[in-house]
Amino acid sequence: MKLKHSLFTRRQFLNGLLGGWLGALLASFLYPVIKFVFPPTREPDQVILPFADFRDMGPNSVENFLWGSKPGILKKNDDGSYLAFVGVCTHLDCNVGYLPNQRKFFCACHDGWYDENGLNIGGPPPRPLRCLAVSIEGEDLIIKREGGERVED
Amino acid sequence: MKTGIQSWLDERFGFSNITKFLKEKTVPQHKHSIWYYTGSAILLFFTIQVITGFMLVFYYKPTLEGANESVARIMTEVPLGWIIRSVHSWSASFMIAFVFIHLLSTWLTKSYRNPRELTWMSGVFLLAVSLLFGFTGYLLPWDDLSLSATKVGTDIPRSIPLVGVWATKLLRGGGDVTGDTLTRFFGFHVSILPVFIFILLAVHIYLIQKQGMSLPLAAEGKKEKVREIPFWPNFVYREMIVWLLLLGILFSLAIFFPPSLDKAAELMAPAPEGIRPEWYFLFLFQTLKIFPAKVLFLNGDTLAVFLILIAGILFFFLPLIDNKPAERKGRIITIIALVLIMYAVVMTVWSLL
Repeated sequence: MKLKHSLFTRRQFLNGLLGGWLGALLASFLYPVIKFVFPPTREPDQVILPFADFRDMGPNSVENFLWGSKPGILKKNDDGSYLAFVGVCTHLDCNVGYLPNQRKFFCACHDGWYDENGLNIGGPPPRPLRCLAVSIEGEDLIIKREGGERVED
Repeated sequence: MKTGIQSWLDERFGFSNITKFLKEKTVPQHKHSIWYYTGSAILLFFTIQVITGFMLVFYYKPTLEGANESVARIMTEVPLGWIIRSVHSWSASFMIAFVFIHLLSTWLTKSYRNPRELTWMSGVFLLAVSLLFGFTGYLLPWDDLSLSATKVGTDIPRSIPLVGVWATKLLRGGGDVTGDTLTRFFGFHVSILPVFIFILLAVHIYLIQKQGMSLPLAAEGKKEKVREIPFWPNFVYREMIVWLLLLGILFSLAIFFPPSLDKAAELMAPAPEGIRPEWYFLFLFQTLKIFPAKVLFLNGDTLAVFLILIAGILFFFLPLIDNKPAERKGRIITIIALVLIMYAVVMTVWSLL
């Protein structure tokens, strides 16, 4: 039955109500499922390492550290300064390694190359390695996100 | 003659409909009949996968600490464990190989045309699930090769707009490949994918029975009737000969060339040199490798993923794109198939150089 000026019948209205209610019920069931399936992964704000472990690194060499669930690479330059990178290829996420003789970072998965400052110079990587800010405060080596921004996975 | 128990069960289940159907089912005989055997070959290898999978799961431990060690134990301590794992690994390759052959035979004989569009589409889903079985299974031994392959494979969907990042997170159980990824892949491999493959197989096989065996173009057009043989027992006996041959080859390879197991993967170590995925992903692997960093204004890998995605969608909808009347040959479709085969072979060989 439909009233004169109504856009839909009573039946349509009730079906819409019931359907909307069922949809809302389904969404309320799905929400916790989705929350459960995607665990939160926050990148660390900073990592504090004992500087003593890294003081004796030779020039043009690298050490690994943990940057959340990713490998971090700390590199000592020839002038004694430090650089830190997220040691993950910007192409498809493989872990990169440093080749001191060639002064390059290398990703074996699809032959990606970066120079000693992390700049992508060969193969498929589209961007430079992600750089992290290094500072030394007393006995601590502090590694932070460059510029403070958080990069979402 | 039916015994008392048989007729008692039949009154309740109604099996006689099915046995009657199987007794009356016939299989056409012509020069392309050989392709009919590929489907049952896939089922043979799938059955072997299920049985050996049940056995492996008794000893396998899907954790960061235990995975590699438990596979090593299967290979060295568990009585005949090495054969079971070897058969599981080889049979997986055989199954995928026959899925490809089955698919190409359907493509080249144009069997996907009206009314078999949904058979093709369920087949494309079966292909996807089979490849996912292979992909998730590759990680489970947790050695260097499998870790890097998984990092790459799970990063590929990231380039898809909107859903890509979530797909990567769903597969990995977080932003990065960790021990959680291993446990999750085990879950996909032994509980989620099996449910899907059984449902899809049921649909696929039902459709084939419902519509009857497809006749190739050459035979379909002819006026005279094509020779047919009974499915039971004539065709089944012939299939059993094929199965015996395939089992012989499978077990020989499994005994003389068991799969390797490297040392346990380290999450933070650089990717080892010479990493590569399973052979059936090599053409995709090589495609990703040769795409340059930038193509015009796009990332090379984004573009590659897009092209692969579009190809996949076109592939799925092939029966709707090529919906000509059955008697038309569809030369262009045949040429496309041959070009794709050539591409896959060239890329695979290139990646092995």
